[in-house]
Amino acid sequence: MSTPTIHGLIDKRGASRVVNGHIIACTASRDSQRFAFTTGEGDVIVIHRADLTETSAWVTHAVHDGSALCIAPDTDPHSFLTGGDDGRLCRIDMHGEIEELSKSRRWVDHVATHVDAKTGCIALATGKQVELRDATGRKLVKTLEHPSAVSGIVFDAKGKRIAASHYNGASVWFTQPKSESARVLEWKGSHIGIAIHPKGDALITAMQDNDLHGWRLSDGHNIRMSGYPSKVRSLSFSSNGKWLATSGADCVIMWPFFGGGPMGKAPKELPGAGGALCTCVAFHPQQDVVAAGFSDGTVLLIETESQRVLPVTTTGKHGAVTTLAYSADGCLLGFGTEGGQIGIVNLSAS
Amino acid sequence: MSDSPTSDALVPVTVLTGFLGAGKTTMLNHILTAQHGRKYAVVVNEYGELGIDNDLVVDTDEEVFEMNNGCICCTVRGDLIRILTSLMKRRGKFDGIIIETTGLADPAPVAQTFFADEDVRSKTRLDAVVTVIDAMNIEQTLKESPEAHQQVAFADVLILNKTDLADEAQLEAVEKTLKSINSIAPVHRTKKGNVKLTDVLDQGGFDLERVLKNMPEFLEHPEHKHEADISSVSLSLKTPLDANKFQLWISALLQEKGADMLRTKGILNFEGQPDRFAFQAVHMMADGDSIGPWKENEPRESRLVFIGRNLNRPQLRRGFESCAIA
Repeated sequence: MSTPTIHGLIDKRGASRVVNGHIIACTASRDSQRFAFTTGEGDVIVIHRADLTETSAWVTHAVHDGSALCIAPDTDPHSFLTGGDDGRLCRIDMHGEIEELSKSRRWVDHVATHVDAKTGCIALATGKQVELRDATGRKLVKTLEHPSAVSGIVFDAKGKRIAASHYNGASVWFTQPKSESARVLEWKGSHIGIAIHPKGDALITAMQDNDLHGWRLSDGHNIRMSGYPSKVRSLSFSSNGKWLATSGADCVIMWPFFGGGPMGKAPKELPGAGGALCTCVAFHPQQDVVAAGFSDGTVLLIETESQRVLPVTTTGKHGAVTTLAYSADGCLLGFGTEGGQIGIVNLSAS
Repeated sequence: MSDSPTSDALVPVTVLTGFLGAGKTTMLNHILTAQHGRKYAVVVNEYGELGIDNDLVVDTDEEVFEMNNGCICCTVRGDLIRILTSLMKRRGKFDGIIIETTGLADPAPVAQTFFADEDVRSKTRLDAVVTVIDAMNIEQTLKESPEAHQQVAFADVLILNKTDLADEAQLEAVEKTLKSINSIAPVHRTKKGNVKLTDVLDQGGFDLERVLKNMPEFLEHPEHKHEADISSVSLSLKTPLDANKFQLWISALLQEKGADMLRTKGILNFEGQPDRFAFQAVHMMADGDSIGPWKENEPRESRLVFIGRNLNRPQLRRGFESCAIA
């Protein structure tokens, strides 16, 4: 028996707690002052940055009847939007008030938001449809129809386009209300997740068959990235768009999006966690640091150039890491696991 | 890892198939309202009949996806992958899952989903495919519809329903027809879907105990009606098998003839292994596992059953026998 001595950043800079239910998703509010987690029991747990290490101050809201499947920062600085398999899209505001924004017969599988100086937009995926709503979420702007269930949605960096992955490809739509038709990018097979290059160079999907597909958006050229031993559940671009970090192997796999890559280039393998499967990745919003979660509950920060590793937690006993996110200012990192562990660290110098 | 799933930790899934009007929904409601103290999550097609009497009902579109492995028969239900994976995030809420398919559905993609998807495999197990048969109309339906043949062929359990509308001679004729397509599945007679729960739930359809129990019966009556499109072939072998030889033979066979092989099941006696080895396949997708030691007084005999089209019994027998240890 070995007794682990290094536990990680969480001991001094954070806190963790085990709640009831599988942790499904997490995100920070737009102002980086709050962090929220959703559970398979339909709860949303909100943490305030000011009392981040006071786990007794973490508030649990019963929001959905069924699982709370997805979460996104709201278009305002303070609130969160969640979708559930009760078909509801809900807002939790800074006071903990819950507002139902829409309800359908279908599960709300995904929610995404975009905000810029002028306007904001909310997108949600329910079955084969993606609904675009105004910044308040109360007004439906338009409904985008797809040939099969939507498995992922993503706005481009400017919020001009939204892309959705589905069976046999992905569809790219302009968000402005008058534009009606989609650019359909075809590739045979089941696409199960999506990411867009921060400069809009490429659209990448994860596939059921343990590989990635992509399209160069300038000319629709196909990109294939394969070699994974399991499904890739998590994709994250670096802020400058040079690297795409992915889960799905026993280490973090990063594909180069420079020097002609990723076509014809081998991916870079970052350190792993002693052979455990990498289940989640999230690039820091500014720096060349990637956070990675593993099937044994380990969470690491890895500098992509030096490959230096900083453990966040290495003593997980509550199953695989299922979600991982930074706040927009890069100071907070939160993670959740299959067995209901919630962890958060404050990385700012204080 | 300490929390690797054992078969007990896997949530059992029952797949309910059957032609339109056979009485699936009636039977489903009978199962759900029975006093068994268990909670089920139910997945139904949104265009299916209404009135499911349960707390947790999920509507779905049947989305059949091809896998990108170059095999046209490797199809899965994309919607089920999504739904089952999500349901497992609140698994404390139910003890089992029941999936009702539409009347016209081919059961292969549903069954293959449990082989092909790693997430579904790691959390759930296909307990049984239960096919509900309308005793009055099945002969006609079989003449008209290839899907009906598939549903009978894929079944682990056949429920012969509406038996009050047919006489004994008719029922016996229907049972004979069903046996000619699928010689393994037990046939249970019901009137208004009032099935015994122990006949449909917790079948462990793939643990194959039942196959063993049922084999002798049909081995004694190896007649096959050749007008039926789909038939069963069962083989047994007393000499222990060479595991490598068997692997090579069965992989090549399923690769070549997988489209015709609807289901393959077996309990195998590998040389040098104390445990029984359970083998199962749906078309080309195969799987196998040790299922504990042979019982005392139990003959150590390998048994293999094929259900499919154009099965060449002598050829299959020669192939199987060639896997015996030298």
